[in-house]
Amino acid sequence: MTTRQRTRVTVNGRVYEREVEPRVTLADFLRHDLHLGGTHVGCEHGICGVCTVLIDGLPARSCLTLAVQADGMEVTTIEGLRDPETGKLHPVQQAFVDAHGLQCGFCTPAFIMSTVELLRDNPDPDDEAIKEALGGNLCRCTGYETIIASVRLAARRLREQSGPA
Amino acid sequence: MAREFPRLPEELPTSAVRYVGKEVRRVEDPALVSGSAPFIDNLQLPGMLHCAILRSPHAHARVLKVDASAAEALEGVVAVLTPDDVKRWANAHVTSPPGWGTHCIAIDKVIYVGEPVAAVAATSRHVAEDAIELIDVDYEVLPAVASAPAAIAPDAPVLFEEHGTNVIQKRVYTWGEVDRVFREADHVVTASFRWNRCGANPTETFGCVCQWDLTDNSLVCHGSYQVPGFWGLARSFSLNLPANKVKVVSHPMGGGFGGKGGARGTDIAALLSRKAGGLPVKYIEDRMECLLAGGSQSWDRRYEASLALKADGTITGFDVKLLDDQGATTETYGTISVAKPLAAFTGNYRIEAARYDTTLVVTNRAPVAPYRGYGPPPHFLVLENLVDMAARKLALDPADIRRRNYIRPEQFPYTIPSGNEYDSGDYEAVLDKVLKLADYAALRKEQAAARAEGRLVGISVVNTVEPGVFDWNAYATVGVQGVGVPEGARVSFDVLGNITIVVGFNLQGQGQFTVAAQVAADYFGVDITSVKVTTAATDATPPHFGQGGSRVGVAITGAVLGACQKLEADFKRVVGHIMGGLPPDAIELMDGRLRVKANPAMGMTVAEVAGTMLGRSDLLPPGMEPNPTATSVWTAPGRNMPDEEGRCRSYLTAATATHVVMVEVDRGTGHTSILKYFIVDDCGTRLNPASVEGQLQGAVAQGVGAALLEEYVYDDGANPLVTTFVDYLMPSIHEVPITRRDHIVTPSPVTPLGAKGCGEGAMHTTPAAITCAINDALAPLGIEMTETPATAQRVWMRLKEVGAAR
Repeated sequence: MTTRQRTRVTVNGRVYEREVEPRVTLADFLRHDLHLGGTHVGCEHGICGVCTVLIDGLPARSCLTLAVQADGMEVTTIEGLRDPETGKLHPVQQAFVDAHGLQCGFCTPAFIMSTVELLRDNPDPDDEAIKEALGGNLCRCTGYETIIASVRLAARRLREQSGPA
Repeated sequence: MAREFPRLPEELPTSAVRYVGKEVRRVEDPALVSGSAPFIDNLQLPGMLHCAILRSPHAHARVLKVDASAAEALEGVVAVLTPDDVKRWANAHVTSPPGWGTHCIAIDKVIYVGEPVAAVAATSRHVAEDAIELIDVDYEVLPAVASAPAAIAPDAPVLFEEHGTNVIQKRVYTWGEVDRVFREADHVVTASFRWNRCGANPTETFGCVCQWDLTDNSLVCHGSYQVPGFWGLARSFSLNLPANKVKVVSHPMGGGFGGKGGARGTDIAALLSRKAGGLPVKYIEDRMECLLAGGSQSWDRRYEASLALKADGTITGFDVKLLDDQGATTETYGTISVAKPLAAFTGNYRIEAARYDTTLVVTNRAPVAPYRGYGPPPHFLVLENLVDMAARKLALDPADIRRRNYIRPEQFPYTIPSGNEYDSGDYEAVLDKVLKLADYAALRKEQAAARAEGRLVGISVVNTVEPGVFDWNAYATVGVQGVGVPEGARVSFDVLGNITIVVGFNLQGQGQFTVAAQVAADYFGVDITSVKVTTAATDATPPHFGQGGSRVGVAITGAVLGACQKLEADFKRVVGHIMGGLPPDAIELMDGRLRVKANPAMGMTVAEVAGTMLGRSDLLPPGMEPNPTATSVWTAPGRNMPDEEGRCRSYLTAATATHVVMVEVDRGTGHTSILKYFIVDDCGTRLNPASVEGQLQGAVAQGVGAALLEEYVYDDGANPLVTTFVDYLMPSIHEVPITRRDHIVTPSPVTPLGAKGCGEGAMHTTPAAITCAINDALAPLGIEMTETPATAQRVWMRLKEVGAAR
């Protein structure tokens, strides 16, 4: 159990190299070793989706992923979205604020990560596409209405930002 | 001293209200969307140890031996907590009624699966979990009490041997001439109902970091505590500490919906810290612990209930018999949920007489805890389904039978038979608005067409009253003492005119920091960005309670307004003095300026006054302190002691909502699809309309879960069969209907700014509305679903019984 494995992960553009116990989950590694506490943990068995991060650009449950499995990969967490210089929120984050897409905020980083990935591939999703993309994320507060509204607002702003095709 | 508060936002000292009643972006949100909010598991303290808990695999067993020597020997283990330590250092949890609590770790026997029997503090959670596997426990298994009916059987095993019975309390409350109205009734409708356990399950489980100071024997508990002062006080009882030696630091919470804050987890972490020489100990409940034995199971009830009616549909009596399974102990205040229905027992109706026959028992299931609504949601499921059954019997439309029984607008304030006084309302206006919003007549036509095709389509029209702003007196019937629930705020200006509001509770999701900021910003005419709201630990905060009983929105409004009024009085003295010795009442506050009434051009801004108070003592009136700070503590006015039958003015406000729901039941699977969902509600002034709408829709989601999906299943030996989210089904984005909503505003005449409690909201109505719609769908088959959740399997089995399944 004390065997450690050298693991090199790029998180939010920064390279981290650590000796990691194989049983440590990516969620625990991010939260406790790298002190990136914005990725939360809700069930640790892969249902609630609260721990969602992007691994090589795709949403993944960081509670079901071992840190050593992320060796050589690029991970994006909620901390990687804000402009590091100005602190300005990412358009998806700002849309969740403006459209009241959260209450307690515990599941919110995961919804935002899933949304970032959705809008990268589908800049104008309809409600069905949004539900499909966010069906793996549980929210106990909002009843999802304002989350859908936030995604639509973010999509509109991102489309406006990127200008006419 | 009773204060006069502005009764409506328009009465605030501003010519144009900017924030109160407007859709305001929440001050809470930027940190939450950034992932930088300090939830408890983000806290790391120097030297911090991690706790894991060994839990009972048996529902009922004697603990013969706990041998922790192998665990203690494991590298990285610093302390192991055993029954002997707990016997020496701790007391059983205080309960109401008294005497039905146990210690944080089982002492002589375990009484539910998941009850802690030992705990470890180690250098990592991994090591701690390794260590608990090395603890050797010998049990003598005892026969278990698996259900409430089993608990009252003559030969039932007894959990608390000192009581000699599993019955915690049996009491019958009679309000009015119940026997007469039932004797004289033209119709009596009777049915049995079973509400199976469901519960809060916030996405963040409970967590804490506790540190025992061995020098002065004091304790600090950081954690996800919903009601910090209350949890602190309870720890002083369970851990033998003076109350002022327990400091509770509440962190932002990832949801609550009930009793967030674990008594056992806190006590265990605290005692491990004590045993580990004062090192801080973190305990984070995992999801399986939460589902197994955390505070997420509520309402395990069996009802037999009757309505008495006149031939024209007038309801004259409501008779309720409740057998309530509290689980193994009452340490998580589940008993209160039996008492709370007294605050709105007869719902929206004029019913002259009612009876509540209650039996509360312990069983070997996990203890039940508070959940959003705290009792009335199952109660209203019973009442509203009986009203629909009566409508079917009398061939009345469900909207019509309700309309003819409503308390009328001119009857408010209205005292219901169980004693509470409703402040205001206009139920018929709400009904008319929702029927129009839903185009009810068209829905019924649609239903008729569907029925003609053999489809099972049903519609419900269901209304409830949400008791808002709880008071302790509401729970007198289960032994809770006290009248009044203080909620405080300290409002202070700094030398540059920025405002800080200190409150005693932390974020949980309802947006109450924003409400506090809205009120102060409008009161002093400043931008909301110059107001900061923060939580103080229990040793530095004014008297407070926190979230619970649809209360904080109204209570914190009262507290902030009270503090603002005190500051205004001081500011007037200062300005009057500076303006040549004018008396304070020659000065008025308007739009952020203290101005001379007779010459409004003369005056000072609030920032100038605060700066003067803190930086120019030479200009202040003689004897005035340089302190632009004021504290105010609000509690609901006019509350009183309950009488023998539990009657009192308890919950201050009575919000209401009417839901119209259309569902279809699939004959092939028993699955219920929600086709359409409409809501009109009235919670008085909507302080931040966006937050009110969020509470409503969010509570619909939880109501859908309770009505259709969520259930803690136990087997005949009281073994839990649901311990993961694979089998406890929380509604996802696919299951929750996006409701169409509207509202009316009947401002409360008894609250500051006219708001009514609205946080629990649709949880009162949605379970009833969905089951009533299902029963309308099933009506042509002559069957009813009176058990929750109405899962596909349950409904399909019922369809099969009558040969209607496909």
